[in-house]
Parts: sequence; C-alpha cells; structure tokens
Amino acid sequence: MNIVALVKYSRDVTEIKVDPATSELRTAGVPERVGLIDKNVVEAAVRLKEATGAGLKVIALAPATARDSFKDVLAMGVDEVVLIEDPFDGEAEAGIVVRLLEAAIRKLDPVDVVLCGFASDDGYSFQVGPRLAERLRRPLLAYARGITPEGGGLRVEQNLDDRMQTVTAPLPALVSIDEEAFPPRRTTLMDALKAKKKPVNVWGIETELGLSRADLESSARIADTRLTGVVVRRQQRVLKGQDLGAMADELIDALEQAGVLKGAA
Amino acid sequence: MGDKPTILIWSEHPALARELVGAARQALGPGGDVALLAPTGVAVDIRSVDVVFTTESADESPEAWAALLAAAVSQTEPALVLVGATKLGLQVAPRLAERIGAGYAAWATGFTLEAGTGAVAARCSLYSGGALAYHQFKPGRVVLTAAPGALTAPADAPSPERIARQSTLTAEVDGIAPTVIGVRPKATSAARLEEAHAVIDIGQGVKAEEDLALIESVAALLDGQLACTRPLSSDRDWFPEWLGLSGKKVAPELSLLIGVSGAIQHIVGVRDSRVIAAVNNDENAAIFAQADVGVVADLYAFLPVLVERIKARGMRPAWQ
Repeated sequence: MNIVALVKYSRDVTEIKVDPATSELRTAGVPERVGLIDKNVVEAAVRLKEATGAGLKVIALAPATARDSFKDVLAMGVDEVVLIEDPFDGEAEAGIVVRLLEAAIRKLDPVDVVLCGFASDDGYSFQVGPRLAERLRRPLLAYARGITPEGGGLRVEQNLDDRMQTVTAPLPALVSIDEEAFPPRRTTLMDALKAKKKPVNVWGIETELGLSRADLESSARIADTRLTGVVVRRQQRVLKGQDLGAMADELIDALEQAGVLKGAA
Repeated sequence: MGDKPTILIWSEHPALARELVGAARQALGPGGDVALLAPTGVAVDIRSVDVVFTTESADESPEAWAALLAAAVSQTEPALVLVGATKLGLQVAPRLAERIGAGYAAWATGFTLEAGTGAVAARCSLYSGGALAYHQFKPGRVVLTAAPGALTAPADAPSPERIARQSTLTAEVDGIAPTVIGVRPKATSAARLEEAHAVIDIGQGVKAEEDLALIESVAALLDGQLACTRPLSSDRDWFPEWLGLSGKKVAPELSLLIGVSGAIQHIVGVRDSRVIAAVNNDENAAIFAQADVGVVADLYAFLPVLVERIKARGMRPAWQ
C-alpha cells in the first residue's frame, strides 16, 4: 500500500501584522513553515503507515530553498518528500494548486490513500480535499478524527456539523483530517538522525510534472486580488497590580462608563 | 437567461438559505432572478425567490448535493452560486466549482454582480479573519461560500412577493461516495447565544469542569450566557458549540473573555461585540490587544473578588 500526505508550506498567520493607519498588511518577513494543521496530517499518515506497513511520501508545494523545512516531517516517519518547486511564489489560486497536486499524485501512482488537512493554516478555505476528490474521481472521507484500515478499504470517523458519522470506502481514497485531530508526535534525536538520510526530491512543474506554466495560468479564474488588513479598534486598556479589589472596581467603572453596567438607582 | 443575471442559492440550513436569498436579492435589484435549491424536507416559505428546485432524494451526502446543484446550474445558468459555509457546504461548493469550471472563493463577506456583464467581485475573509481579500473574477461563473451572518443584508428586504416557478430535480451520484455505516447526532445547545446581551466566553485558562460554577456566578450577575473556545468543546466536551471562525459568531453588548489566549481564529467569533473585556494571567496574551479593558490576574483569585464588588456596589447590567 502507498500513502501520500499533502503538506502545505504555509505562512505563519499569527506573524502577519496590520498597519493601523493604512490597514496595509505587513506580510514581508512573515515566516513560512510546514503548517500546524499539516503536522497533524503527517501524524495521521504515519499512524496509517504503522498499521499497514505502507510506504509514505509527502507532497508539498514550496520554494526549493525550503528543503530543510521538511526535516521534522521526515523525522516523524515519512519516507520521502516530493517538493514541487512553486513557480508562483505561494500566490497561485487554489484551483491551480489542485492541478499541481493532482499531477504529482498521478505521477506517483499507484497511490492508495491521499491524506490532506481539512484546511490550511493560512488560506483556510477548505477547498483542496473536495476539489482533488472531483479531479481524481476518488471518494473523499472528510473531517476524519479516526482512520482504520478495514476489509481492503478504510473506515473513518467523521466530525460533521451536527453529527459524528462513520463511513467506509474502498481504495483508492482521499481522507481529510479534522481540526485538532491527530496531534503530532514528539520526535527523538535518533529520529532526526535517521531523517538526514531520507530524500527531499525537488520536482519542476514542466520537467517532472509535464505541465505548462502558461496553461496553468490560463486556468486561473481570479483576475486580481487585493488584500487589506482588518484593523482592531479596541481601547486596549490593561489593569494590573496586586490589589484585586481595586482592579475589580476599575473594571466595573470601565464597564459602567461603557454603558454595560449601571449602579443601583 | 440573457441580460437578466441569476444567482443560485443553496444551504442545508433554512435560516442561512434565507440570509443568502436576502443578500442575493439586494445585489440583483429588481432585474435579476434568484433561484433556490431548497433544503430537504423544508417547506419553501421564502419570499422573493423566482425559481425553486426541490428534491425527493434522501441522499444528503456532499456528492449528492453537488450533483443536484450542477443540475440546477445547467437549468438556470447563474452568474453566481452562493452556498452556506457550513462543514457540508464547504465540501459541496468547491466540488461544484471544480465540476462546472467556475471560479471559487470561501468566506465571502460581500459581493457585487455587474448587471450587464455578469462580472463578479467578492470580498472574502482571509488569514482566519485577520485580513480581507478583494477578488475580481474573470468573466464566467463563480461559486462563493458565506458563513451565517457574514453577508449583512436585511433579513426581510422589502421586495414584491414573487410567484416562484417550481420544479423537482433529480441527479445521479456516480458510485464514488463513501458508505455511511453509523451516525451519532451531537448534542445541541438550548442556549441562544446570538440573542444574549452578554457572553461569558471561557478558554483553556479555566482548568476543570467544576470551575464552571465560579464562571456561572459571574454570568448570573451580568445576565450572560456561557460560551467557549474550540478546545473546550471539541477536546473537553464541556459545551456542544464554540465561538470562532469555525464556530458561532456573536455580537453582544459585552463579551467577557476569561482565560482566553486570543488566537485570531477564536477572536473572529466575538470581535463584533460592542465591548470586550478580558481576564488572563499572562500579561503577554494576545487577548489584551483585542480587548477594550483587560485584567492581568489569576482568574481563580480575581473572579470571586469581582463578584463580591459587583454585589457590594449594587451594579447590574444596563439592559435590565
């Protein structure tokens, strides 16, 4: 059995700041890394590998300079990373990213299970799993909190809006991991040393995937995107000290001034 | 449909479907058509809809809804398809976009549809609510998802009552959907958080379920409803629902956040509150930048004192 885990090389959104005067987003210098959600995807994939003895590769779209960022996922138990060198510098719309991932999965075929996050840390648009399922024509077991190999297929516990649901599907299949499911394992120094010997193979979209940049660009449906930051306009008054009674009174005064509390008539 | 643009709507939640209809009607003006794929088993009482599709299928899988919507798209040729951003809707909408070759964006908070050209532009929440993206789509069909309350159209926009054309849709799902072998409904909350004047919102700083008694004593004095961050619901199972980007959004007079760190994914759920107050023992917690007034203190020491002072001063909520 062969497993592929899709990992997003994501912006750390907690480091994105907004200029309060202009609402301009300050994205320069914001660190990029393997997403937190994607670490959980790798954990789910490694557990499935351990349960089945399958091979496990990671596919990621990233700049070639990011190769060292995948040491952690290799240490967790991934056999190999396929790094698709991103010609769009992280700016491609999801429809194009899905085409790149599809081409890489097809090149690695036979792939029995593809795992991805329910969303990415930065884009958070929930679209890669469902779109890949459409393009690959494979069943999608979405929002998985539990994955069990069963009868040559998979049984998955799904966390849906109003219910938990158990589903099964034959292979090949796609699984998306639910939020906060499969917290990643800690790795040891030994794991890290073993990971040093594992390959990170860089694939070009034209050389290895046989795609044309012009074709990909023409498949874009969004002509232009402009970003602005959301500016927080709060008073940000902070009360601290040792006298809890005085702080409680100050809080009550502040809430009274704001028209939330009123005194005895 | 010629020059008269159509917007097609679907959500499995009738209230959200109604919201989307309101927003679509407002964007179209009197000139265009609103088509609705009605949720299963729900009587269509929605005014200002021109075309209603119903289905007799009992299959409520994302694959089935995507197939039905694709059938509705080929009948109505809409410029825009609006889908409710629930966990189900967020599976259905990107599938549909891929299937019909449409543009797609999630978490819309506003959109425009140009009458002559049918060109769509959308404002969408990005970076978990920290930013807004303004997308101008290329000519052609567009699919958008919107969360409850995200598109701020009047709930009952004045509009002449229309007599909708009704038809029944069927669509084939071609054998790639998973098989459902078990369903366990989640508990639903009786609390109507959206209607609360005050929300007492607790996070992981509250350590044990027994401590809820302390929180409830504060809530009682402030006429507040209890709410929580996602881990307290999904990991600890203290509450059936949570506030945040992936949960509910509230806009009360007061949100008092207790032991909440201030992650943006959570703050999105309370940031429209009129006043935000916070108690956290970590002076560097992100929450203090998101609050009007913050108290740096151990909640277990501070809250009993706060309760005592509110009582001693005879304070009560302004709305009581």
